[in-house]
Amino acid sequence: MSGVQISVEGLNRSFGGVSAVQDVSFTVGTSEIHGLCGHNGAGKSTVVKMLSGQLAPDSGRIVIGGQPVVLGSRQAAQRLGVALVDQELSVVPELTVRDNLLLGDFRAPLLNRRRAAIARCRQVLSDMRLDRIRPQQPLSELSIGERQLVEVARALSQNARLVILDEPTATLSDVETEHVFTAIRRVAAQGCSVIFVSHRLSEVLELCDTVTVLRDGHKIATTPASELTVGNLIVQMLGEVPHRLTAARAPDPRPGHSLRIERLHVPGRLTDFSLTAQAGRVYALAGQLGSGASDVLRALAGLHPQATGTVELRDRAVPFRSPVGAARAGVAFASNDRKSEGLFLDEPIAANLLATRLPTLARAGVLSPRCEHQVARSLAELVGIADHRLGEPAAVLSGGNQQKVFVGRSLGRDDVYALLLDEPTRGVDIGGRAAIHRLLRAAADAGLIVLFASTELEELLELGDVIITMRETRMVARYEGGADGVVLMRDMTRGERTA
Amino acid sequence: MTAANNDHSPVMAAARDYPGGQASADTVRPTPTSAAGAAGRFLLWRGTDPLDIGIVIVVLAVIVTGALTTRFFSVANARAILASTSWVGITAIGATVVMIAGSAVSLAVSQTATVVAMIFLATQQFGLAAAIVLALLSGVAITALQGAVIGFWTANPIVLTIAAGFAIGGVATWISGGTTVYPQVVRFNGLNDTPLGLPLAVYILLALTAAAQWFLRRTTAGRHMYLIGENPRAARAAGVPVGRVTVIAWAIFGACIALTGVFLAAFNTSANAGLGGTLSLDAIAAVLAGGTAIGGGKGSALRTLGGALLISAISDLLLLRGFSTGIQLLVKGLLVGFVVIAVHVSSTRGRR
Repeated sequence: MSGVQISVEGLNRSFGGVSAVQDVSFTVGTSEIHGLCGHNGAGKSTVVKMLSGQLAPDSGRIVIGGQPVVLGSRQAAQRLGVALVDQELSVVPELTVRDNLLLGDFRAPLLNRRRAAIARCRQVLSDMRLDRIRPQQPLSELSIGERQLVEVARALSQNARLVILDEPTATLSDVETEHVFTAIRRVAAQGCSVIFVSHRLSEVLELCDTVTVLRDGHKIATTPASELTVGNLIVQMLGEVPHRLTAARAPDPRPGHSLRIERLHVPGRLTDFSLTAQAGRVYALAGQLGSGASDVLRALAGLHPQATGTVELRDRAVPFRSPVGAARAGVAFASNDRKSEGLFLDEPIAANLLATRLPTLARAGVLSPRCEHQVARSLAELVGIADHRLGEPAAVLSGGNQQKVFVGRSLGRDDVYALLLDEPTRGVDIGGRAAIHRLLRAAADAGLIVLFASTELEELLELGDVIITMRETRMVARYEGGADGVVLMRDMTRGERTA
Repeated sequence: MTAANNDHSPVMAAARDYPGGQASADTVRPTPTSAAGAAGRFLLWRGTDPLDIGIVIVVLAVIVTGALTTRFFSVANARAILASTSWVGITAIGATVVMIAGSAVSLAVSQTATVVAMIFLATQQFGLAAAIVLALLSGVAITALQGAVIGFWTANPIVLTIAAGFAIGGVATWISGGTTVYPQVVRFNGLNDTPLGLPLAVYILLALTAAAQWFLRRTTAGRHMYLIGENPRAARAAGVPVGRVTVIAWAIFGACIALTGVFLAAFNTSANAGLGGTLSLDAIAAVLAGGTAIGGGKGSALRTLGGALLISAISDLLLLRGFSTGIQLLVKGLLVGFVVIAVHVSSTRGRR
């Protein structure tokens, strides 16, 4: 490490009066690999967006190579030597590998883009042991992991002064991850600065020279990686470690119904998941994107037709390869994608509350408006929405109220035995979150099996009677009572290579 | 399960104990009205739409121009408009159901109506009732089969029905040998009766509109159609039987097409391959002119009746004022285009 190449000084940014990043400063030297860590909502993404020209800071400045710069757009940032690998794939499957590698590279000449650029791409591909990928190959022939590698290769091939990698390994296998690391080390050795953002803490410690930790928009510390362990990194990230406040519920001694999942398997997404869930308790699946936590729920709801295994609810087999079969067996599912896979936004709130229970309200397929209205009103009261709003379209509600309607849709039915929720409070304010947690607890108390997936420690600890941690498509561990945030975090983020 | 049971379910009871839930429910409590009135209020919402202002303007323009046109406002002319609406209208009611359920349109309607008409004429010797039943069954079977491919295998309805249209037309030509089909005996004269001066088909159209309106709003299958049309992914994830409901929608469509085919056959007393004419597109135009959304999830049978009547009234008006058929077609095209744009504008404004 020699000389400061990138320097971030007193960055501030707020959204609608809520501060997302406050007075963040750090420097990255030439050839330095700098880790950026923080829990959900710590401000990592905002910092990355400001450094890559996607967001303008409210105040503070960014200095590259001694020059204060204004990064007005991603193009402007690229011109100043900043390359970004985004969380979401931004490669085009229809194009060839070569065209993807040249995509958005303004230095590639319009005509005769071949020679120099191709040579550079080949170099990077072979650095990453990707010689098996031919430049002429359409990207659609590659696996998701390989596509991610191509995206990383694109950023690394741009001769940038700063390469930012935002969760580049979330979807990669160990071997692929190693190849990416080799390529990153190589560009760093050539004098490039690297900022590496990841949830996988052991990887951060393995790869990075220095680690900056953010929490609630503030910088907590910048520490040489050699002085850090996964344990104290987690403490920096979480601050006061959240512990469970209420004791976990004791298992209900009554022989209620149960949900037995045996060796549930979804190719590439979930590996041999087994669990027996009892009525009256809340089961939390803790896992980051790609851990398989939400795939457990989706498979049970019939949304993974290629899933295999055995699922029994109340000692009857659940036909979990179709959503209709799963619903008929008594499984109700709330997706994490409320807008496109959840609510019927242009339909009235009343229609949304009743959407999945119409057959239970009908006599011989015929509905009575009177009975519908009664049920809609009692559900509105249950979820806390004024009944004069029942005729308004669901789209006008706030995110929190939409989520209440979404959850309320599955409550108060005597043909539902298991309630599955993927990220039940995503995009919901604190008040709404508490209300939804109360609804779910009440549902469990009323004898439902409640199973939810979440990435938020507070939510997992507050709501889960049993917490199951997941990582890389597999279950890691199961906790009943006495779980603490550090342990969950370690399980979810690959604290150690062997769990 | 009835609503009363539901109200006593444990979850409801448990939630009522929460102070939070109670408070927000108490803040706004409208004065108690009759349950039926309140129900009507929340079901009415779907009807109020900025688009309606546009339609009202068109209707007013027709009324004003009509008042300035001799013979437009006369009982005889009103009968003529109703009569010319009836055949297309019956098919359009079926097309409405399919469009609301998110399957867009069928381009195989003319051919299906032609085949059904041929079957109806060819089976006259078994009696009128048997011929009608056979005609309906074949219309339902042909159309529901297409619905199954669309509902269960998510085929594109436009592509599929273009293919089906060719296949059905081909079979019709093949079986009839490319000639006109005549009945052996004529038992269908009763279908051409005009009680109270209106063709029987008009009464069928009105009854069908009322039945479809009731079906869409008051039955589980009908309400599922709105949900599937509005957001098919959400409907699937919620366990709504998307495939089955889609088949039901297309079966209803098939029955409506078959009814039109029967009336066409009875009126013409013979059927050749061109009998269906432009029925496919006329039906789509009527549904769209009524303001039912091509993307699904919004619309009603009543709207389609209005749309079909509006198109007939405008054609009639242009005819009375001496405009050519070409101008009539042009105005029909402009009207449909106007409504489609208005629907698009009003639905994108609603969604932020």
